[in-house]
Amino acid sequence: MAKKRSAFLMIWVILAVICLFMFLKYASPKVFQILMAKSHPMPTPSTLMMWYMIMGVLAGLVYATTSNQKFADFLSFLLPSRGPIIKSLLQKILFVSFPVIVGWFVYSWSIPGAASPVELRIQHPTLPQEFEKLENPFRQKDADTQRKSIEEGKILFQTYCRPCHGSKADGNGPFANSFRLRPINFQDPGTIATVVDNYLFWRIKEGAPGLPSESTPWDSAMPSWKDDLKDDEIWMIIMGEYDTAGVMPRQTEKLE
Amino acid sequence: MIKACKKVLVGFGLIGIFIIVFGTASDVFAQASHLFRTYKHEVPPKLSETPDAVAEGKKIYEKRCWYCHGIEGKGDGPAAKTMFPKPRNFTRNEYKVRSTAFSSVPTDEDLFRIITSGIEGTAMPFWYTISEKERWQVLYYIKTFNDQFRKNDAIKTVSVGSVASTPESVARGQELFKEMRCFECHGEDGRGNGPLTVALQSEWNLPYRARDLTKGWLFKGGNTIEDIYRTISTGFNETPMGSYLEKLADEDRWHVAHYVKSIAKDMVSDVVIKAKLAEDDQLPIDASDANWDKATPVEIPLAGQIIATPRLWTPSIDAISVRAMYNKDEIVFLLEWDDATNKQEEVFRDGVSVQFPTKIPESLKKPYFAMGDSSGAVNLWSWKAYWHEGFGAIIEAQETESGEVSELNAKSFKNVTTQPPESQNVSGKGIYQNGRWKVVLKRSLKTDDVKGDIQFETGKLIPVALAAWDGSNSDTGAQKSVSAWYYVLLEKPVPRTIFAYVLVAIIMGASVELWFIARLRRFPPKLEENE
Repeated sequence: MAKKRSAFLMIWVILAVICLFMFLKYASPKVFQILMAKSHPMPTPSTLMMWYMIMGVLAGLVYATTSNQKFADFLSFLLPSRGPIIKSLLQKILFVSFPVIVGWFVYSWSIPGAASPVELRIQHPTLPQEFEKLENPFRQKDADTQRKSIEEGKILFQTYCRPCHGSKADGNGPFANSFRLRPINFQDPGTIATVVDNYLFWRIKEGAPGLPSESTPWDSAMPSWKDDLKDDEIWMIIMGEYDTAGVMPRQTEKLE
Repeated sequence: MIKACKKVLVGFGLIGIFIIVFGTASDVFAQASHLFRTYKHEVPPKLSETPDAVAEGKKIYEKRCWYCHGIEGKGDGPAAKTMFPKPRNFTRNEYKVRSTAFSSVPTDEDLFRIITSGIEGTAMPFWYTISEKERWQVLYYIKTFNDQFRKNDAIKTVSVGSVASTPESVARGQELFKEMRCFECHGEDGRGNGPLTVALQSEWNLPYRARDLTKGWLFKGGNTIEDIYRTISTGFNETPMGSYLEKLADEDRWHVAHYVKSIAKDMVSDVVIKAKLAEDDQLPIDASDANWDKATPVEIPLAGQIIATPRLWTPSIDAISVRAMYNKDEIVFLLEWDDATNKQEEVFRDGVSVQFPTKIPESLKKPYFAMGDSSGAVNLWSWKAYWHEGFGAIIEAQETESGEVSELNAKSFKNVTTQPPESQNVSGKGIYQNGRWKVVLKRSLKTDDVKGDIQFETGKLIPVALAAWDGSNSDTGAQKSVSAWYYVLLEKPVPRTIFAYVLVAIIMGASVELWFIARLRRFPPKLEENE
């Protein structure tokens, strides 16, 4: 079986790895911007980038060593040039660039600098026990009372919560850009749609200062409303908040 | 031979992976991304304006809009009390962003654009999240609040072409800015601090604030050259910003637009404020010192303090620019922010404060960013503008008076203590020039008060948060503009030894390479023979 021989296999592998890097760094942010219909590019997270690059290099090496033939081809590029002029040119570039790249990496590690620390966010600290048994007094009422509580709640939401969480409850209020931990987008199905009313009651009442000490973030600007709003008003805000965001709370499972 | 080569190659592969791991990890520089809205110009074909469309629009209005704009469209919705600027009153012709002549109503397309884009720096959100049909319907309903829409059958629009910007055009624009007395409202440097605006604000308390033209991201109705030209041509209804359509020739309006565009800047923010090591050990102590140019400014956005009562819903200071420099003994900060007035009252005074944790946090956990908490105290350096007259009088802070600096500690909004005189270590001064406060604060890197003061160390990320008060906005105490935690880093100088390391690395890299190639060439893979 005659195999196709490639004297430039090593160059192809290197080229493939460079292409992968270029794709992850420049093309994929654009691609995902279009795919996810965002108004801004979606840069590849650096850790993800690292793993993809590791996989890319490994894949290149694995490919080059799939057969002894391939591997010999791969290495043959480094043998004294007998091929076309382009080969000896590429060879020289390769020989020079390897030590230069090593030197550049050493330089970029050792210059002093610091990355901003990675700040984790635990989205769902456990609901404290004293809030578990509470019930939203408006959820079970007749349709008319419910409608009134929703409307009343929407007014309160627009007055007090809107500056951060936005008129649409999408986390885009006028203050949102100023907090490094952006206010939560309640329209996101992963937020208030996954919790029960009581959870919101706890977070509105106690705010960021009332978070348990193990829950990051400590930067949350969520105010504690217990001194300013009555319990009924908070329950109404919750009714209005779900309606504004267009989602429903998670229902507590009933044991038969 | 091939086996040996494989081993060596696997070694190389591992080195490569190692390089990638550290190479990519070292450039994890999270940038604060401020996604300011853009004014969207394109408008889809119109929906026909039928009574049905208006009726549908009413439903949308009463679901989404009335909380701010009021059920009768008077701009008096229940949420309006926590807003500045206030929502538009649709029963009057207050429309600002229009392509039509001054005092006429906007076109349907103008309304569609503003509903779609929202207005940056105000509570008006972008509504491209609802369907195009819904946007047409709701704007047809909004038009019913004002009879003028029915009278204006043929609305004349101002055509917007495009003229390229040249240095001559910008220079001519600057002349016209003076000739047309634009500075009377917008101020000489365009910071919205003109004498007229200031007088209107304090004497009649009218809610007219001339635009700070240096903040390009807050221009109403977009900040492209066409948008600026349109605003100059059409003016803003029911505000002192009139139309210059008649007063200035077409070409001249382009010149002014180019000048305005040239002073409008984008916000340049970062999470880390890099304190520069002063080369000759001399730290700048004046805000006007040219040495400040060596430090990179970082603009930090502020919001109203709404975490604890009393809250500030309508902040007037939206950003502070920070620079820092240090030498082996001391560190100095330059804080700059735009403020249309330097008016002071005994209670309501302009001020700024820089907040640090009392010690550099070992873990990720920091004290609460808003004045600390019971388990984490903060150290505050506060500057207040100078004041010397009797109670209630409004005076202008003098440029010659440096203001008061004090050092405080806090464990919450309610638990704030001023440090005793012997441990007051911060010095500084502030000046007010052309609509901008510039405050310099200086302290030694280490102090004796290890418990209450932050002790600076090079190369560490030290959390820092800012707050600012605007006296003319009645800011006092907890009613202030605040930021979240950012970081200050005392940059280490690049050590000379680094070049030795690089040289060694290059030599090592080259010798490993040469050894590998030499070995390969001495024992080339002899595959053909094996097969």
